[in-house]
Amino acid sequence: MNLYAVAFYLLAAVILGATLMAVTRRHLVHAVLYLIVSFFGSALLFYLFGAPLLAALEVIIYAGAVMILFLFIVMMLRVGADQGPLFPPRQILPAIAMAAVYLAVASLLAVRDTGTGGVLQTALADPRAFGDYLFRNAWLAVEIVSLLLLVALVGALVLGGRTPAADTPEGPGAPREVRP
Amino acid sequence: MNWIGFAPEMVNLLAVVVFLGLALAPANPRRDFVAAMALSLLGLAVSLAVVRATGELPHQGYRADLFAQVYKILLAGGLVLVVAVCRDLADVEARRHPEFFLLLFTCNLAMTMLVSAVHLLAVYLALELSSYALYVLVVLRRDRELGVEAALKYFLVGVVASAVTLFGFALLYAVTRATTLDALARALVGLGANPLAAVGLLLTLGGFFFKLAVFPFHFWAPDVYQGAVHQVGAYIATVSKVAAMGVLLRLTALTHAGGPPLVTLLAVLAMASMTVGNLAAIGQQDLKRLLACSSVAHGGYVLIGLLSFSPAAHAAVMFYALGVLLMKFTCFLVVVTVAGDGRNPRLEDLAGLHARSPVLALALMMALFGLAGIPPTIGFTGKLLVFKAAVDQGHLALVIFAMLNVVVSLYYYLLVLKAAYLAEPAAGLPPLRVPRGVPVLAAALACAMVAIGFFPAPVIRLALAAAAALG
Repeated sequence: MNLYAVAFYLLAAVILGATLMAVTRRHLVHAVLYLIVSFFGSALLFYLFGAPLLAALEVIIYAGAVMILFLFIVMMLRVGADQGPLFPPRQILPAIAMAAVYLAVASLLAVRDTGTGGVLQTALADPRAFGDYLFRNAWLAVEIVSLLLLVALVGALVLGGRTPAADTPEGPGAPREVRP
Repeated sequence: MNWIGFAPEMVNLLAVVVFLGLALAPANPRRDFVAAMALSLLGLAVSLAVVRATGELPHQGYRADLFAQVYKILLAGGLVLVVAVCRDLADVEARRHPEFFLLLFTCNLAMTMLVSAVHLLAVYLALELSSYALYVLVVLRRDRELGVEAALKYFLVGVVASAVTLFGFALLYAVTRATTLDALARALVGLGANPLAAVGLLLTLGGFFFKLAVFPFHFWAPDVYQGAVHQVGAYIATVSKVAAMGVLLRLTALTHAGGPPLVTLLAVLAMASMTVGNLAAIGQQDLKRLLACSSVAHGGYVLIGLLSFSPAAHAAVMFYALGVLLMKFTCFLVVVTVAGDGRNPRLEDLAGLHARSPVLALALMMALFGLAGIPPTIGFTGKLLVFKAAVDQGHLALVIFAMLNVVVSLYYYLLVLKAAYLAEPAAGLPPLRVPRGVPVLAAALACAMVAIGFFPAPVIRLALAAAAALG
């Protein structure tokens, strides 16, 4: 057991622990904070596997952007802590049933060799090479994504924009309202 | 590289940029409508002009072959029709009109890319772009609650369908290590019976079944048609369906023989889709919900063509796409006209349509006959082509099942017709305000449906040539 293995098991334990804490917290802000710890753990795991770019993206996108969004929503909606049981039976029972199926299949796969295993090739690419490839060989995809972001922006504007009162006269002739 | 083949995309992109600029200017619905009409007509003209010009973007997995170019004509034509009924867009706030057209053109751009993309990444991104544009379009209704509810349902089903598609891509990649459709087709030749490949292909098709509103992903259709602005409903029922058929043709053409497990599964989905759609349509009183259920049933008929895996079947599906475009649009033309004030029309609102607007009633009759598959309309010819191609491939039982479904569907189409022709209008019904261009458009559509139904040969020739380009 070398140093990498020690680091791996340590990280795995931290990720599992943090995720477990995240799903069992009653206070949503606490849950989100634990989830951030879990994401940082995954990022380190990626780094350990030799994918620094993926690690950086994990921190920037998941631990950064997505979690900030979660926090925003939690604070905007001001969801109070729910007083009922954390896992009502009608949620936990199906979950347990599905987990049992999952466990059975996983243990079957672990015990019996299905003969379908294949070794995936690992590809190491530093961020520069990755960016180079992306904009040379997949610029069309990047362009489509940029349009997708434009649509998302318009969608946010439409959904979040102020709606005028139903009786406001509208049209080319109507005077435009000026709000301070 | 030959850029002229990509002119339709360029026009769509130009329109997106134009409306982005107009969104910054003060609201002026008249200007927005004229600009949209001009740009969509330009798009149709360009698509028609470059039908024989083909091109390919190297490394990008993007190919404008004859198949894609023919589909771009259908998409551009559909957009022209939808924009034509947007003159009186009363149900969308005036200041949102540029955004409305911006999203409409973005969606059309995404769909033209969807039928031209041959790389899995480009296919997926184009699918997402078209879906997201539609989600936002559905929200754009003056009655916010109705729009948001419909959009949320649409979004949730759509996201699940996207996840299913991605899972399918992952399985296909795991089996074949291919990311372009060409490489995938080559790799799948020997893998017809491989369960992983069949499951991967079926899951991949799932996201596109969502677009076509085929059985497991059809739940959104009635609610979205009902909740969206009529014009958006028309777009979803026509152009969106045409694009879905196009990309499904591209994907199913991959597996030349298909392999027994895939064909059986597709046949089950087709039967379920037809039955569920037709049975659900019988009780509907809301005209748009009825049209949505009929869309689900038509998704089933299209699947019969898709699972036959022969050039004739591919051409039949393309012909059917044209038929669906014309017939469904005609129905929505009636919806938009009858419900000028933005309400959702019910069947009884059609009462006395034959007296209030004879041309519109005639066009509605032709469209309903077509949807039910009664000669001499384009719908009959389309069904005949699809069913014949399926029988040639030995799917006789499936075709008989579909015929039975057609008989069921006849019942509710005739109910609509009865409302339009035989029912007496209630005394309180306001007089129908028919905008000037509508009777002309309706007459043109009725003529087109009958003419193509009688003389389908030129269209079939073009469809066969396009299907040959699928390889």
